[in-house]
This record gives sequence, structure tokens and C-alpha cells, in this order.
Amino acid sequence: MAGVREQDQYMPIANVIRIMRRILPAHAKISDDAKETIQECVSEYISFITAEANERCQREQRKTVTAEDVLWAMEKLGFDNYAHPLSLYLHRYRESEGEPASVRRASSAMGINNNMVHPPYINSHGFGMFDFDPSSQGFYRDDHNAASGSGGFVAPFDPYANIKRDAL
Amino acid sequence: MRQAGAYSGLLCGGVSGRTGPHSLPLARIKKIMKNSGEGVKMISGEAPIIFSKACDLFIEELTRRSWIMAIQGKRRTLHKEDLASAVIATDIFDFLITLVSNSDSHAVGGATNVMEVETIDYS
Repeated sequence: MAGVREQDQYMPIANVIRIMRRILPAHAKISDDAKETIQECVSEYISFITAEANERCQREQRKTVTAEDVLWAMEKLGFDNYAHPLSLYLHRYRESEGEPASVRRASSAMGINNNMVHPPYINSHGFGMFDFDPSSQGFYRDDHNAASGSGGFVAPFDPYANIKRDAL
Repeated sequence: MRQAGAYSGLLCGGVSGRTGPHSLPLARIKKIMKNSGEGVKMISGEAPIIFSKACDLFIEELTRRSWIMAIQGKRRTLHKEDLASAVIATDIFDFLITLVSNSDSHAVGGATNVMEVETIDYS
């Protein structure tokens, strides 16, 4: 704990706290020492699983640690109740990867555009369906995003086109 | 609801582009993986993506168990001691005992003294 902590060896504290808040009741507080400790626990978790996955790689004389190696290591080290949802997650990810590249690029482009026109967006368009403050950077669980993202790649185009026109 | 999810996903992608649809930055995960040992050579693009989700689950479970400890202590603030108690009580978190124990012994001098007293008693 003494000395400067290398921040690039830990997950960003804001991301970690956001995930913790999903579990904790609204009135819960998190002390600074708990925040630091859980950051360290997450890095240790990644190192622990990766080391085991890498050992399997080396035994099989492969050089690249794959997602399958990570899942195998989790099961071996007792995190088998994680491995199943993660297998589904990987499967869905690979399915979404099969989408046309143009759609993915368009999605990225929209992200960039949205970033640039952030203030006008807030002022001129109030989508009631949002139940969070965009500036807080909060968003739904990955499961939800992954499921709805692939389906919503077409629908959200129009609103952003409107924003773009306004900017011009 | 599904549509709302799509909007929030896209918006968050724009606000913090580094993470895209994942809640944790993939580049940071990859860096930690690289530093987990000398033997780690190459990492496939999907491995950090799996870890991004796995760390979600890990943080949620550790937080849930720690909060139970805080509640049992009649507190509303999560402390490091709650994390340590949760780690000690959970088998799959055994690999973290050294980490949370070192933090405790470093932070609390009294713990060290108590250990020394116990040692003297045994000798």
C-alpha cells in the first residue's frame, strides 16, 4: 500500500464502483480502503486465472491464450458457476461479430458523432425512455446491451441522423 | 425496454469510447494479463472480452458477500475488513487471503502485536 500505486495495474475505480453499486442498496457507502482493496482483488483475480490458463497453453505448446483457455481455467479454479454464463456471453459475442462490418463501423461512427454533439443532444432531445443520467455514464448490464444492441442496430439510426442535421 | 437498452448502449459507447459495450477497459485487462507471468506470450482478442464480463461477476459476488458482513456488523459503510471477512469465508476466494491479510496487517499495527504475543505464549 505504501508508495504510488501504478494505476494501469488496476481497473479504473469508477468502473469498479459502478459495478458495486448494482449490488448495493442506495444508502450503502463504500470506504476508500474498500475501493482500493477491491481494485487489487480484481487485478489478482485476472492474474490468478491468466496464470492457470497460460500453463495449459504451454503444456499444449501453444503461444496464444484464448477465451477457451480462460474459461477452462475458471472451471479448474472453482469458478464453474461463472463459466456457463460466460460461455453464453462468448457465443453471443461471436454471433454479433458475424454482422456486416459496415454496421459495426456505422455504430462506431454514431458513437463519435454522439460525443461531439453531446450538449445539443441533451438540450434538444429528451427521450423519456432513458431512466438514467447520460453524463453519469451509467448503462445496463452487458447481457442487456449485448441482446438489445444487435437488435437495435437499425432502429437508432434515425434519431442520430436528426441530430446530425441539426448540427449542420 | 429493448430499444432503451440499445440507446443507452450506443450512448455509453460514445461517452466512454474506450470501453465500448464492455464495462471494463479491454486494454487495461490485457495489460494485467500480460503482467501475470513471464510465460504469457500472446493473448487472443476474445480473452480480455471474457474477462471483462468475468470481472463483472467477480466484483458483484465479492461486493454482495462483503455487504452481508457489513450488515452483520450493523454498518452501512463497506470497509476493507468486510472484504477480508468475505474472502476468508468463501473457498473460491482463497487466492485473495494473502492480499487482504497483508493489507490488514500493514494497516493495523495492533494485529501484529497480538500475533507476537501469541507467539510468545506458544514458545
